[in-house]
Amino acid sequence: MTESLALYIERVIEFSPRLFDSLWETGIMLFFAMIAAILLGIPVGTLLYLTADSRPMANRFVNRLINILVNIIRSFPFLLLVVAMQPFVRQVYGRATGDPIAASFPMVVIAIALYARFVEQSLMEVPKGIIETAQSMGATNWQLVWKFLFVEARSSLVIGFTTAVISFVSYSTIMGVVGGGGIGDFAIRFGYQRYETDIMYTAIVLIIILVEVFQWLGLKLAKKLDKR
Amino acid sequence: MIRLQNIEKTFYGKETNLLALNQISLNVEKGEAFGIIGESGAGKSTLLRMINALEKPDSGMVMVDNVRLTELNRKELRLQQKQIGMVFQQFNLLNNKTVAENVRLPLTLHDYPNCLTVDDVLEFVGLEDKKFSYPGELSGGQKQRVGIARALITRPKLLLCDEPTSALDQNTTEEIVEVLRKAHEEFKMTSVVVTHELPVIKSLCKRAALMEAGEIKDIITIKQSDKSIIQKPYLERAIEVLAHD
Repeated sequence: MTESLALYIERVIEFSPRLFDSLWETGIMLFFAMIAAILLGIPVGTLLYLTADSRPMANRFVNRLINILVNIIRSFPFLLLVVAMQPFVRQVYGRATGDPIAASFPMVVIAIALYARFVEQSLMEVPKGIIETAQSMGATNWQLVWKFLFVEARSSLVIGFTTAVISFVSYSTIMGVVGGGGIGDFAIRFGYQRYETDIMYTAIVLIIILVEVFQWLGLKLAKKLDKR
Repeated sequence: MIRLQNIEKTFYGKETNLLALNQISLNVEKGEAFGIIGESGAGKSTLLRMINALEKPDSGMVMVDNVRLTELNRKELRLQQKQIGMVFQQFNLLNNKTVAENVRLPLTLHDYPNCLTVDDVLEFVGLEDKKFSYPGELSGGQKQRVGIARALITRPKLLLCDEPTSALDQNTTEEIVEVLRKAHEEFKMTSVVVTHELPVIKSLCKRAALMEAGEIKDIITIKQSDKSIIQKPYLERAIEVLAHD
């Protein structure tokens, strides 16, 4: 028992540089996905909300268009999205595989679509009376969003973000299939192709811990922000 | 102060259309406390919402303080709306903001040269000690006081109250009516109060429009009752109502 444990630890130490490299690559992908979710997912989701029927910026054409785009991206099997985006990524970035930044492109696209939907849902939970109050005070749409909607929806936005990030972890592992690096790539190379099962399980446990930490942080922050 | 002429409004539903307001004409004088009364569905809230352009008429003219609201663009409309305070049935406070932040909210949207301070209005509604509380920690009556303070801080020339006491019990209703009456006396603004509760109109307003099925049936001058409202505690009143004839 102690012998096999010692052997396991030895192997983990041996593989740890590669394991940490993979985690770092996953981190890069998650970083770009999170930035995209915040900088673009929030505006797109807010626009989805505001342009719907009987909302302050009701516009059937814009709403339909964004809705269709978001639905297409979200219903695309992610692996196919990755493959479909390769020519585009190659054109823009120079290479489409073997690098976490190249792998971040499809991550960014799915991150925007996924979080936009969560943002829209969070805003739908804000009572209608709040919008009416903002309008009765003569608030601009910008003020309505920043000073009313986001204030009331903030803990729900954080919970949605947490759920989205956890999905990003899952999406990032798919990138391993096209050699995009990251923890999924690691698991395929060592666990699937080389039958280093113990190392693969170690990687999986690390992913689980990562997810748990995100979930815990997200809920804690959401709770702190929620004064309702 | 307020002139409505031949207002018509229909809400178009999937199956039936509802004529919410039918040929409404109405004048409210400057400084007047005016009531709109009727059963639910009579169109009184829709009428009130015409006055601050939350609702647009299909036809007719809305004039507030000599400005035709029906002819303004969005920016001009916002400048009109900022001078009109509104108190809501469900209070509509931001639950993630403190009482003080809620009350200050209108001042963060526009410039108000003659506004009051947060401390002034909170003292006026009797909530100085709740400044840093969140709405979730307040009772219904206290929430409505915050709503009133938020409406008063801008010193509005016009105060619209949409069923201000309908979510409150009887004793709290009287407290809120008292705050609104005091506000009208102190700040001398024009007030329009929509409610289905007759005693509220009786103690707040001088004139009232009676509405039914989207039409004004009558406009009456209210005879103020001589007896001032005696505020009895809830239990005392319960005994009075339940144990006596």
